[in-house]
Amino acid sequence: MTGRVRGAGTAAAAALLVAGVLGVQVANGGGEFEPLRPADACVERDVTAQADGIEGLTESLVLLGIDGAACRLDVSRERLTLDLAQPGERTDAEIDALRAGLKDAVVRMEEDGTLPPSSELVDEALDSSDLNGFVKGAIRLLPDSAIDSALKTDDVLTRAIDDLDLRELLADLGDGDELNQQIEDAVTEAVKASLADRLRNLV
Amino acid sequence: MRRTVGPLLAVTVALVLADSAVVTLALPDILRHLDASVGQVAWVLIAYNLVLGLGAVPAAMGLARAQPRVLTAVGIAVFAGASAWCAFADSIEVLIVARCVQAVGGALTVVGSLELFVSEYGERRGVGVWVTAGVVGTAAGPFAGGLLTELISWQAIFVVQVPFAVLAVPAALGARTTVPTTATAPAPAGAPTAEEPAVAPRKRHRPALAANLTLALVSAALTAALFLLVLLLVEGWRHSPGTAALTVSVVPVAALAAAPLARLLRPPPQVEVAVGCFLVAGGLAALAIPPSAHLAWTIAPQALVGLGLGLTVDQLTARAMEMRLPRAEHAGWTIGARHLGVVVGLAILTPVFTADLQDAQEPAQEAVVSIVLDAPLQPQDKIAVAEALGAALTDQEGQVPDLAPAFATLDLEPSERPAAAALERDLTGQLERAATRAFRDSFLIGAGLALAAMLVVLVPRRRRVA
Repeated sequence: MTGRVRGAGTAAAAALLVAGVLGVQVANGGGEFEPLRPADACVERDVTAQADGIEGLTESLVLLGIDGAACRLDVSRERLTLDLAQPGERTDAEIDALRAGLKDAVVRMEEDGTLPPSSELVDEALDSSDLNGFVKGAIRLLPDSAIDSALKTDDVLTRAIDDLDLRELLADLGDGDELNQQIEDAVTEAVKASLADRLRNLV
Repeated sequence: MRRTVGPLLAVTVALVLADSAVVTLALPDILRHLDASVGQVAWVLIAYNLVLGLGAVPAAMGLARAQPRVLTAVGIAVFAGASAWCAFADSIEVLIVARCVQAVGGALTVVGSLELFVSEYGERRGVGVWVTAGVVGTAAGPFAGGLLTELISWQAIFVVQVPFAVLAVPAALGARTTVPTTATAPAPAGAPTAEEPAVAPRKRHRPALAANLTLALVSAALTAALFLLVLLLVEGWRHSPGTAALTVSVVPVAALAAAPLARLLRPPPQVEVAVGCFLVAGGLAALAIPPSAHLAWTIAPQALVGLGLGLTVDQLTARAMEMRLPRAEHAGWTIGARHLGVVVGLAILTPVFTADLQDAQEPAQEAVVSIVLDAPLQPQDKIAVAEALGAALTDQEGQVPDLAPAFATLDLEPSERPAAAALERDLTGQLERAATRAFRDSFLIGAGLALAAMLVVLVPRRRRVA
């Protein structure tokens, strides 16, 4: 065998080896082993809350609200979450987008029927409220239909979102008690305002 | 005593050349222990290779004016003393200075040993033993260093070198002093065995530019393979130095398999080197695109790199020294080319992969946030996870973070723990993906360097008429 033939044979064997190894890597997903890419925040996604009751409702609203806000700001929900988790002053654009995103979430949940009627939330709300026992008992005696007609969940939530001081809320993200207190205050105010409006309309 | 001279000197030459990359797997430990920055720690590698690369030719010139065995013994003693100094260094600055001194001793040891090997074994076998010891040392360095770091500590890497070197001092002094004046080819795999013609003494030949340039480029590419791979395994995929050492042992094993393979196929030397460069390039390209972070995906690419290493380095070293006088000076040029190649490789690759690691942080963080937001955990647990992860990411900024401590601090309900464990696995997977992606460009640049080496081999050259 001449040197030229032996050389060609060796080169061919090397080419086969390299092609084989690269081929196996690529065939098994080589080159695609990359971190998850953030999804388009403007494309609607299904959200499944892990919690029940008011906490589950809040979870769904927040997850959908971040999507809506990120879409408005033209960033991914992941980027917006990271930005909001950083300490510092929030821009007006971020606050406005977040508020609008949360309100969009209420509309979307109302439209797809995932927003629970207010009667489903009353017991839990009363448990955590500081109303006196007599008032709580009186409210619990009301039939569900009366509660649902007096308080519309979407109306209460929209008013609560308008009332919330989102800057302060974001600053207190790490303090669960403070966070709950702010949300509770905003919801209480929203319930009062909603009831007042209903009464005004009746009169 | 005489029988031990050759093996002791061979082990010492292997140690000197292994030191080029022996600390690669120990760098994270050194960084933590000496409270150094990543840039400073890189100089533990760079300083040694730079001084060895720059010092090899002057050391060889010094041999012409002194007794080779005395100069070699002095070199080994300096190397041994500096190795001990490295082990006891209490700051990164001291370690870097000790590494420079170690490299000065190493340069004298390597070129001096060549003369002593030739005295002991004759021209052809002596050069062959010298080249083989160098290849084995280069290939086995990261493996040995990683294992010692895992089993004992990073200081052990330097401590174990001392007794071998101390024993080699009397071996060098007791070596034969008659040095043949002919310059002949060593015995690389597959090379013809006929004796080369004698060349007149005192003649000086110019350095073999093409062979040394190819050596430098291949060494730069091999730096990518060894240095980047161990960093990916330890820092990116979070394996222990011992596991990483066992994994990269594929390279020296494959390098040893190259010689019998070359004897079987008997390609012309030029083709053998070109094929070796191509295999290194192919292996590096395959390391750039692993399908997952499983160690098995690095085995075949490493085997390609190891085969390429075995086919190129000894053949190129032999060609660079073939028929050239003074022998030691040309050996110095090959050492210079190899180690300056390593420095160039580090100089090119370090900024690329550190910048890519920096750039990988944002997609990695976004992937982590995406998975946490969608995790099947209660909202308050998600917030707790996010806070723990945020603290871990801040503490370990500049590195690929280890999430296990963050999850260990969580106080979760038993019913939530399986979901948290799944979340930890998913998040670790995302970080592995980000780290792997961050190393891709550097591996591909390494492959490019190996292809450039192949082109240097394949470019037709004017034949010199005798």
